[in-house]
Amino acid sequence: MTERPADELRDAAEHAGTGPAAEGPADPETGSGAVPGGNGGEALESRGSRGDEDGGDLRAEGTLRPRRSYLAGVVLRTFGRAGAVVGLAWLGVIAVFAVFGPWLASSHPYLWKVRTEDGSAAVSSPLVEHLGPADVTLLVLTLLVLPGLLVWRRASLGRRLGVLLLAAVVVGVSAWWFVQPPATVVYDRYRAAERAGQVEWVLRPPIPFSPSDRQRDRPEAKNLAPSSTHWMGTTVDGEDLASRMIHASRIALAVGFIATGIAVVIGVLLGGLMGYFSGWIDLLGMRLLEIFEAIPQLYLLLTIVAFIQRGPYMLYLMMVIIGLTSWTGYARFTRAEFLRLRRLDYITAARASGLPLGSILLRHMLPNGIAPVLVSASFGVASAILLEAFLSFLGLGLVDEPSWGQMLSQAVGAGGGFVWWIALYPGLAIFLTVFSYNLIGESLRDAIDPYTQKKAG
Amino acid sequence: MLSYILRRLLLMVPTLLGITAVVFFVMALSPGGVGGNLLNSEGEVESAQAQALREYYDRRYGLDQPKAVQYLRWLNRVSPIGFVTEASAEGETLGGFGFKAPDLGESFSKGRPVLDLYGEALPITLLLNAITTPLAYLVAIWTGTYAARYRGKAFDVVSGSGLMALWSVPTIWAGVLLIGFFANAQYPGLHWFPTGGLSSTDAGSMAFLPRWDDAGFARGWLLDRVWHLVLPVVCMTYGSFAVLSKLMRSAVLDNINADFVRTAKAKGLSGRVVLWRHAFRNSLLPLITVAAGLIPSLLAGSLIVEKIFSIPGMGQLMIEAIYARDRELVLAGTLLGGLISLVCILIADLCYVVADPRVSYD
Repeated sequence: MTERPADELRDAAEHAGTGPAAEGPADPETGSGAVPGGNGGEALESRGSRGDEDGGDLRAEGTLRPRRSYLAGVVLRTFGRAGAVVGLAWLGVIAVFAVFGPWLASSHPYLWKVRTEDGSAAVSSPLVEHLGPADVTLLVLTLLVLPGLLVWRRASLGRRLGVLLLAAVVVGVSAWWFVQPPATVVYDRYRAAERAGQVEWVLRPPIPFSPSDRQRDRPEAKNLAPSSTHWMGTTVDGEDLASRMIHASRIALAVGFIATGIAVVIGVLLGGLMGYFSGWIDLLGMRLLEIFEAIPQLYLLLTIVAFIQRGPYMLYLMMVIIGLTSWTGYARFTRAEFLRLRRLDYITAARASGLPLGSILLRHMLPNGIAPVLVSASFGVASAILLEAFLSFLGLGLVDEPSWGQMLSQAVGAGGGFVWWIALYPGLAIFLTVFSYNLIGESLRDAIDPYTQKKAG
Repeated sequence: MLSYILRRLLLMVPTLLGITAVVFFVMALSPGGVGGNLLNSEGEVESAQAQALREYYDRRYGLDQPKAVQYLRWLNRVSPIGFVTEASAEGETLGGFGFKAPDLGESFSKGRPVLDLYGEALPITLLLNAITTPLAYLVAIWTGTYAARYRGKAFDVVSGSGLMALWSVPTIWAGVLLIGFFANAQYPGLHWFPTGGLSSTDAGSMAFLPRWDDAGFARGWLLDRVWHLVLPVVCMTYGSFAVLSKLMRSAVLDNINADFVRTAKAKGLSGRVVLWRHAFRNSLLPLITVAAGLIPSLLAGSLIVEKIFSIPGMGQLMIEAIYARDRELVLAGTLLGGLISLVCILIADLCYVVADPRVSYD
């Protein structure tokens, strides 16, 4: 009661940035700034030291003054809904798989003690030796940086996100530089050593198969139905499906986030400029937008993907391409919001007081105009995942890396045979992930829609 | 109104130019480039022969010229106003300027005029969409109206989240599962439908209508076609329920709360009459107006379905063209797709005027 609320107030004041204006469309009348007056004092009392959600609910009903920025309120209202919570829960599972995939499913033992030919025994950890740069980056970010940022409550949300992004870049680049796993990997050697009786003891991950371990030493392991050894069966090439599923969740999450991120940045930039300047910039921008909207997105995407060189960076190329072809919706929404906002008094005031353009656009207009973009970004992530799955399904996307769409394409073999477990699990994973994003998007839409709020209240 | 339509039609021209420019330069700037797979498709050709073939194609299609020139030449051929060109083995020669028949060229990979290929494929895609759209509307109108009628009750919640879940089911998954379980000899009890295509191989010799005769039941061409279309149509339809139903629900809700419905209720009309004769009719407007705007997304949707069920429609042709890097086919496909989308958007906008007298573009 003594320390935290004060911090949060500062927090809120920082996000809100512009005081009254930042309360935005939700409740234009209220709020002489983010710092509450007498009424707000009561709000603090009633809220006590727990329950951020409680505070959110009360505010949603309009009984108390908002103390948080408009955006924070939207987020709180969104995750007060059952659908969004279910969606978030599944995405949490996927995120755990994405980060800890190598620890959950890998042919490399955590630790083992193996005798070499000269008879001396040594303990080593093949799993750690084989971690790639991406594995290390994700692990460091999740275990060190993320908790640090959660604890560091003084910083605003935006600043925390910025630090996270910066840390991701720094850790990623240095991991790329320093982490060099062995280029050739022989998955059979662990099983071979065990069969030869050289292993004294071994500690394996729960699923002791790597996603691309084709089990060359076990030719009978192709196309196996789910069993206690292979929880979800094996593929045509003898890879463990459960392991591929877990490792594919990283690709799905990454494609969704990065492709949508690229699209949102392009869309918000173009849309914001079009909305703020209007005039001929708007006219030109709208023509560009129409061009990209009129080409059916799948056609454009297929054309680009089919005509580029395939290579080891296909995954990243696909993210960029999906991002480049799906920004139009975000541009439209941002443009409409900015056209509305630029006529409001607080923007005129900001301009009159001589604020630089960047500050007006980014600090004052963007936080109030971003909500519709967030809604459509949530659906956008879902559609990016679907697009990646479809491209990989057609064989135009990822080939060797595990991807849900690529796995699904193996379900109907060349000979016409149908393998139900390969059809069921990857498809189910795509469905659940897409459904989760759609649920979150739907809740987000309800949360920013003043009409549904009024009805609920 | 007429001037509005004319203005919109004229604005389409730069947009279409932009579309083709985007697609052309994506193709032209890619490594391997236009017609890159042309030589591969010829199989094992001697190097000298391959060289000769490449030179021939370069001359014939002007592939050795700068990209911008290639693009302008293509544009000139496609546009109804321009230089009359004559194609020969020596390359294209330009003739006089004036009106001429637009020429979409000849496909590299199939050796047939592009227009013929799309002329065959487009009706099939349109057929798919013509079956899918009314079906989606029927279901959506029904569920949407009842969801609004029982707002907040079990039906509303269940249909809302159920349709939302259906909407999230990836088409590729649904297609694979449908083919895998209902069109598969592995499960004889469920082997009800064919795996793909539009008709059986002997459909050409079938009578049009089904009939009983001495030889037993003959299903005839029509029933055969329907039998082949069941799975693709199911696959294409289920996804569009959610959006349409939500639209219908909110439209009915708006109308139920409107004054004229209150008046109708106050007059003592029964709830059924109020809902179906007063609120329902007015709620159809937004659904009618989005119909045309829906077609571009259906076009994309049918691409996936056509691929999975190997139906020789426009999407399938487009995918083949892209695999073969067939410049003429790809460009014509995007041009057609873009044209259809633009026309549909225009029709959707005009529908607003027709449907709602309050909207005017003049």
